[in-house]
Parts: sequence; C-alpha cells; structure tokens
Amino acid sequence: MSAALELDDLSKSFGKAQIIRGLALSVAEGERHAIIGPNGAGKSTLFNLITGRFAPTGGRVRLHGQDLSGLAPYQINRLGLSRSFQITNIFPKMSVFENVRCALLWSTGYKYSFWNMVSRSRALNEGAAEILAEINLAGRRDLPAGMLSYAEQRALEIGITIAGGADVIMLDEPTAGMSNTETDYIVDLIRKVTANKTLIIVEHDMGVVFGLADRISVLVYGQIIATGPPEEVRANQRVQEAYLGAALEAD
Amino acid sequence: MSDHAEKAPMHRYGGLTLGAVAPWLIGALLLAAMPYVFSSNSAITIMNQMAITIVFALSYNMLLGQGGMLSFGHAVYMGIGGFGAMHVMNWMEDGAVALPLPLLPLVAGLFGLGFAIIIGVFSTRKAGTVFAMISLGIGELVASSSLIVVAFFGGEEGVSGDRTYGIPVFGHDFASQTEVYYLIAGWLLLATLLMYLFSRTPVGRMANAVRDNPERAEFLGYSARWVRFYSFCASGFFAGIAGGLFAVNYEILTAENLDLATSGTILLITFLGGIGFFFGPIIGAIVFTLLQSVLSLQTDLWQLYVGALFVLTVMFFPGGLAGVIMMHVPPWRNGKMRALVRPYLATVLPAGIGILGLASFLEVLFHVRRAAVGEAGMTLFWIHFSSHDVRVWIGIVLVTLLSFWLARRNAPALRAAWDFANTPPEAAPKGDPK
Repeated sequence: MSAALELDDLSKSFGKAQIIRGLALSVAEGERHAIIGPNGAGKSTLFNLITGRFAPTGGRVRLHGQDLSGLAPYQINRLGLSRSFQITNIFPKMSVFENVRCALLWSTGYKYSFWNMVSRSRALNEGAAEILAEINLAGRRDLPAGMLSYAEQRALEIGITIAGGADVIMLDEPTAGMSNTETDYIVDLIRKVTANKTLIIVEHDMGVVFGLADRISVLVYGQIIATGPPEEVRANQRVQEAYLGAALEAD
Repeated sequence: MSDHAEKAPMHRYGGLTLGAVAPWLIGALLLAAMPYVFSSNSAITIMNQMAITIVFALSYNMLLGQGGMLSFGHAVYMGIGGFGAMHVMNWMEDGAVALPLPLLPLVAGLFGLGFAIIIGVFSTRKAGTVFAMISLGIGELVASSSLIVVAFFGGEEGVSGDRTYGIPVFGHDFASQTEVYYLIAGWLLLATLLMYLFSRTPVGRMANAVRDNPERAEFLGYSARWVRFYSFCASGFFAGIAGGLFAVNYEILTAENLDLATSGTILLITFLGGIGFFFGPIIGAIVFTLLQSVLSLQTDLWQLYVGALFVLTVMFFPGGLAGVIMMHVPPWRNGKMRALVRPYLATVLPAGIGILGLASFLEVLFHVRRAAVGEAGMTLFWIHFSSHDVRVWIGIVLVTLLSFWLARRNAPALRAAWDFANTPPEAAPKGDPK
C-alpha cells in the first residue's frame, strides 16, 4: 500500500515556541487514522500545516507523493485533500442546498465560470441532492445553514467536506460538544461517507477513536510518541505515562 | 472536466418557466409603457435618471451585497466609463469613429471593466477594512487626478459632446428625450438581466460563499481573492455601462461624477433599498431618485430627511426596503395578512403623522431662522400660515406628541399581531389578537 499522506520531519514554531517538533507520519491509502493527544499538543496546528493554512517552519508534507510546500489551501484542496474545522465552518447565510452545491463546483469542473447557470447543471443539482440525502438533511434543503441545530451544522460541515470528492478527508474534532446520541449519529455518518477514502481525524472522545480508527497516533508536545493499531497504543507504556502524567499535573 | 448534464436531453434543470420569465416580461412591458403614462419632459428626465441609478446601484450591490466588499469609490468606474463614452461620442462627431449610439454604453462598460481589472488585481486580495480603505484611496486619487489629467477628464468644465452623430438606428438619431429613454430602458433591462444571471453562475454563487466565509471557500478549491476579482471586474463593467448611459443622457461628464460624494450616495441608495436581495437596489434607486427630484422641489431640508431615513433604515431595518417587503412573505404564506391591516393602521398611521409633524416643526423653525426679515408667511401641506404665530407652534408640537404617543400605545398590539401572522396556521395558538 502506498502512502496517501506522508509527513517528513515537519516542524512549526511561533516565535520561540516550538509547537510541532520534527514530526514524521505516514498514512496509507484507505486507512482511518486518528490523532489523539492532550490539549495543547499541537493537533490543530498539525492539521493547519497539512492543509496549507499555516506554512511549516521545516520539513515536508506529501500528498500521494506530491510535495505540498508553498501551495495555498485551495490548491491543496484541488489535489484531493479536504478538511473540516473544529469550530463549525459553513456558509451561514446560504441555504443548506447551496452550501453543498458550492462545495461541488470546483470538482465538477466549473472553475471560475461566469457563463454557466448552476441551476441548469444536472451534475451539480443531483450531486448536491445525493449528498444531502446521505447526511440526512434533505428535509432542511432550503433553510439558511445558520439556522440548523448544532448537530445538523456539524453534519453539513462533513457533507461540505466530502462533497468535492476528495480522497483524503481530514476531520477536526467532529463530535466536539455533542451529546452521546448525536455522537453515535455523527460517527455512523463519518463511517458511511468516508468508505474507501483515507480518513485522518483528531478526536478527544476515546470511544469514537477506538471505534473508528485503524491506527492511532499519539501527539504529545509536538511529537508523535506512538503510532499503531488501537490495542497496541492502549497498551503502550509512554502513552499511559503521557496521559497519566497530564492527569497528575492537573491535580 | 465538463459536466454532461448540459447535453443530456432527458432532464433539463432550471428550464425557462413562466414564473422565472414573468417578472422580466412585466418589467419590459412596464418600461415600454411608462412614457405613455408619464409623458411630460420632466417625468422622462426623472425616469432616465432613475434607470441610470438602478444600473449603477445594482452594479454596486454585486460588490457589497453579493461579494461582501464595501467600496467607498465605486463612482470611479461609472465615471471612467462615462468619460470614455464622452470621448468616443466626440470622435463620432468628428467622424473618426462610426458607431450607432446604442452601442456606446457597451464601450463605456469596457472602459469600466478595463479600469476594474487594473485596480482589482491588487485591491481584492483582502475584503473588509483593507478593501474599503483601498477603494477610498483609489476614489480620492482618481477624483483629484480629474483636475490633473485634463486630456481625459477635461479639467473643471469636464467633457461634453453631442450624441446625435451616431449611425442612425432605424432613422432615429436620439435627439429627443423619449428616444434616449428607450435606449436607456433597453440597457436597463439587458444589464439587470445579465447581472441577475451572473449571480446564478458558479463564480456568482462562490461570491456569496466567499462573502459568508472566505476561509471555508478556500478549502473548497476556490481562491477567495480570484472570486472577488471576478465579481469586482463584472461590477466595474456594469458601473461603466451606467456611466455610458449617463453620457448619452446628459452629454456631459465632470469631476463630480467621480468624487467621493457620488460614491457615498450609491452606497446609501443600495443600502436603503436592501443589499440582501437582488431587487433591493432597484427599489433604493427608485425611492432615492423620487426623493431627490420631488422632495427637493418642496423643501430645502430634503437632504436632512434622506439622511434621517438612511440612519433609521440602518438602525431598524438593516435589510432595507426590500427586507421590509420580504418580511411579509411568511405572513402572506400563512394567509394572515389581514390580521396585520388594523394594527398597521393603528400604529403606522399615527407614526407617519408624527414624523410629518416633526418635519413641520423643523420646516417652521428653518423658516423663522432663514426667511428674510418681515417675511412670516409660509405654506406647508397646502396650508398658508405665519411662521411667527405661536398657535402654529403649539399646534404642531401637540399633534406630533399626540401622534407619537398613539403610535407607541398601539405598538404592542402590532407586535402581537405580527407574531400571530408569522405563526404557521397549523401551529396557531388560541387567540386572535384584536
């Protein structure tokens, strides 16, 4: 199996503060990979480095072997990598349907067209309707996205993330702030919509992580201290120390 | 790469339906009929001005309402289009260029587009304050260079010309106001349709997405900057067309067409009409032109009233006049418009009288302070009286206070009726507020 995403000696500093310190990771195609770690370990920063939101201080990110250095988020997205955000990040004033349809535009090949009518494209409208059905928001189609419930907005965010047909999907804490039933619902949804795709997920809910991931990486102080299948990571001495240590410090 | 649906004969999405075509047909018929209804010269002058302002305001809303770009210098693009058109018009007079006059606004649009491309390349990198400040700077820059680059802007007297030297179109040389009206009306319809269709294209849709959330748009494969750039260029093109229509109508452009006051006015008009709906700026332009041309004949204080109207709109109806209209769609759908009639009369009518009372107070005060010594007689609402008469003052103050008190007293009933009208019928609770 070839690597969908490869991080090579990646580092990031803000001034003197080193947030990511020489991190290496390889995620295989079709793998569901979870990144866990205590607060402040650099998980969100890592996401931002991979997706081009921040430029790394050192090292490389490779998507399907292609170096992503110097590329803007939209260019990285066009190469087949899509992400969601920890804080819900949708288009609040546009309708739910319009949110998804916009997410389809680039991958359908419209680019910056100002001579096609979106309402006349079967690929766009049926595609958006299919995704709405998949994320169970077909009944909310014409509502402004900002008026959806929190869980629905999270589902819509996932819908937008997968709509463009990217084969590497990165989700940043998709179940944050959700009740148990909502969490179960979102996890099922994630499993459904990311079938046959590479998934990289940051998550605090260990139930979600161990239920969903093929492999887990533990990030502590900007470094990965363990990577492996769930059971192996759970049994790892250093992981237990890191989590236990953090708990002790907090007391 | 390309989508195959366009070729698939079975399903045609968004095919032309009666509902989609009807507003445009009605608009076209209305435009065609207007000169027969309002045939006086001054009415046609007002309608021409209105139509030009509508095109300008709609082009401005491509930036503000649809793209989330607040520009303080939009008059520049209309002005450059207009000046360009004036020069071409003069070349037509010299015989250097042969062009039918109806094509001149297109040339003006290209001038606007060209300048928008030059400015847009760097000004659309960021929205928000950065964009607003750059637009203000460019606005000031171009306005001040109008007195420096005399060859193009004509210095203080501007550039004037004669529109009748174009190739005649079916025997029309556009010497009369009515001929010009139909030229402008045709362009109004065409430009409005094109701007509407633009908002329905992929780049038009993404303009909304970038307005709402530029960062998310980047993670959908679109560069927020280039999406803004395309909107900006389209907006400059249509502003240029408005400038071309201005040139055709007035046959003169001066530095005033480019200045910051003109840019500020179009912002005001667009916001007054409502930036959230496509048709909002149309309403704004109509209302503003009427206020400007009719109210200004009645009172010297008209700008004060327009200013107050703008402030009140921003404070209480941020959706503008179009927002107020669209607020009534849910009650209409619920079939409860009738429940609103009486509370409206009971609240809005006294409030209106109160506002007129307040305006009367200002008018009388203004008259006392400004009129020549010994000149006490004035006319207000077709009543002639002395502005120095104390009874008039007391009467105005009493009527005003009483009206506002009445409006305030009836406001809770209106609010209750409004809530009732916005409740869907099946979920309606017990009481019909009376």
